Amino acid sequence: MSTRTRLVIGGVLVAFLAMTGAARADTISFADAVSTLATDCGTDIKKFCKGLNLGNGRIQNCLEEHAGKVSPTCTATLSSVSASIKQRLAAQSSFTAICRHDVAQFCSGVKGEGNVLSCLNKAKRVKEGQCGQAITDAGWR
Amino acid sequence: MKRSFRLGTMFAAGLLLAPGHSFSQELSSPQVVRTLDRLEGAAPAIDIALLMEEAAASAGKGVAALPDWQKLSKLSQLIVEIDFENDSIAIEPKSYRTVGMIADALHHPNLRRYKFLVVGHTSSTGDAKHNLNLSQKRANAITEALSTTFAVAPDRLFAIGVGEEWPVDPANPQAADNRRVQLVNLGLVK
Repeated sequence: MSTRTRLVIGGVLVAFLAMTGAARADTISFADAVSTLATDCGTDIKKFCKGLNLGNGRIQNCLEEHAGKVSPTCTATLSSVSASIKQRLAAQSSFTAICRHDVAQFCSGVKGEGNVLSCLNKAKRVKEGQCGQAITDAGWR
Repeated sequence: MKRSFRLGTMFAAGLLLAPGHSFSQELSSPQVVRTLDRLEGAAPAIDIALLMEEAAASAGKGVAALPDWQKLSKLSQLIVEIDFENDSIAIEPKSYRTVGMIADALHHPNLRRYKFLVVGHTSSTGDAKHNLNLSQKRANAITEALSTTFAVAPDRLFAIGVGEEWPVDPANPQAADNRRVQLVNLGLVK
């Protein structure tokens, strides 16, 4: 096997591990995600993005535009923050589909999404399954 | 108006009497969900356009005595502090967490079917009309961050600025306590 092939395989393996790792890793709250942004990028935001607001990707765009001057910690944090937010959103939107079976089995007849969630959270067998993991990932435990 | 909508301690006693009202220092997302989830059966309908009109017509005179504004007090709500750059719509990084926490709460299944009104308040420092405009823009900035950065459906969010017209500490209209953000549950999304 050539070094190059090995490198490629190694790269694929790393990428695969990173992906499965990401899928299994706990998601974090929106509050925690942007707290990291504030901690690691607060100084850069105040220096380079004065007057700009969090909404509509303005802070992210601004920090990317000043990539050369922004601290390396902030640059690293920036991509992980948007990834965290996306992960949490994805986990929340997959809840209904993933938990459909458990809802039918343990909480049929329960009305209202909030009530269904607290019903699922009380069922021990839900907690150990896929649906339980989905609830944890959504941050609704 | 100086730098922030700020949460103070002096007003808490009075406003805690409102249904489902919470005091937000050291607030956690589950607490936010619990506070905002208590919707009274006979929650009054709120006409936001009318509130805006009345606030504009009342610049410098106050809205606390107006029945339409008083209706807001009857709804589940909480008060948070969100700091802004001086005379700007840019939320200070130290307040990102609060906005994120609101987003966490609004995405929770207990609250996902409700719409919310963000009300921006200032102290009486500075010109009343300027305060009114700035507080509207800042309230808009908060709902924009919620609906873009945190993907809360825009049809669930409404923003209104009331400037210095509804101080929580009427005896000291210049007090920093009066700068604050009110998050009000407006009821089911239709």
